[in-house]
Amino acid sequence: MKQFVYGLVLFIFLILPPVSNLMESIMIIHMHMQMPMLVVAGFLMAKLFQKKFPHFFEKWNKDGTPGILLFGIIWLYWMIPRTMDEALVMHGMEIFKFISLTFLAGVPLRDSWKKLGERGKNIVFYSFMIVSFGMGWLYIKSPVQLCNNYLLVEQITLGWGFLAMAVCMAIFLVYIAVTDQSEYD
Amino acid sequence: MDAKWRKRVAITMVLVFGSLLVYFGTDGLTAFTVETARLNELIEEQPTFPDVTLEDSEERVYSFSEFDDKYVLITFIYTSCTTVCLDLEMNMAQVYNKVPEEFIGEDISFLSISFDPTVDDPETLDKYKGYFDSDGETWRMARIPDQQELDNLLDEFGVIVIPDGYGDYAHNAAFYLVDSNGKLVNVMDYQDTDGAADEITRILESNRGNQS
Repeated sequence: MKQFVYGLVLFIFLILPPVSNLMESIMIIHMHMQMPMLVVAGFLMAKLFQKKFPHFFEKWNKDGTPGILLFGIIWLYWMIPRTMDEALVMHGMEIFKFISLTFLAGVPLRDSWKKLGERGKNIVFYSFMIVSFGMGWLYIKSPVQLCNNYLLVEQITLGWGFLAMAVCMAIFLVYIAVTDQSEYD
Repeated sequence: MDAKWRKRVAITMVLVFGSLLVYFGTDGLTAFTVETARLNELIEEQPTFPDVTLEDSEERVYSFSEFDDKYVLITFIYTSCTTVCLDLEMNMAQVYNKVPEEFIGEDISFLSISFDPTVDDPETLDKYKGYFDSDGETWRMARIPDQQELDNLLDEFGVIVIPDGYGDYAHNAAFYLVDSNGKLVNVMDYQDTDGAADEITRILESNRGNQS
């Protein structure tokens, strides 16, 4: 219950117009802070949904595959330059962003992650890393401005942000590979 | 229902939902950026060039009806720009040279419109046009002194201009082709000068064919 309240408070804080306007005014904060924090808010709130509707999750998301797919689709959808632009100028899109990232990405992520096996987790992790590299490359190398509401320089900053994230993930993989994980279990 | 079957249903529903979301979010996978969506829409809508007063590099003042019986190829620029506008105008010059000479000034005029009217007075425009061998007649450079008229035009033609606060602007660039009735008939990629020149020549030839 406590976690749900934290999540809800975070969610409400994020959708307050002054807060969301401020975060959306900078491209990299829009994509790499606001969006992940919405997912986190959903992640925290998920606990209550799991408790209230255990059968639903057990029935429809038994091994976590449908849930993680839904999470991945929502996440990819918001990587499309157009959706991010539209969230800035169309009110409906902005509301959809808040709802979808929180409840259609954050909630299923929590329910699915634990259920996924080692292999499933690896696939998700590697996909994340590859997409991050790809997006970084796209945003840095793109000769044209992808979003009409942001300057080109912001787009390049975001590209480096993606690359930094992907590199961190790669370092983590190396770390996992060269250390003996059984020591920590 | 057994678990395996339910899993399949759940996955299918998620995938169908995701596909629909992406499909409709990108106009059937045709427009992944707002810019593409905007261009598609513009070409479909064919807005009319609004009533504005232009002032060109020769200090002549006229309205758009000056070009009444001609096609006009338009670019939007500002002269203190050091990046895109230079490419845009260089490419405009290439298109100008590639379109058969018989059409130039007869069937088509070229027009570069500045969206920075305070800096780009006729004198500045006159200097600027020299860099691209624009003759100031069949290829004119002009500003729209009235800010409201300018905003209206930019809005109609979907030109987005964001001032960066240091006297520069971020803006989208393209070739806008307006027909003899003032209707926007095509928005072309400014980086593909061959494609643009071919398209323009084709339109002008068929236009002549229709008249004779």
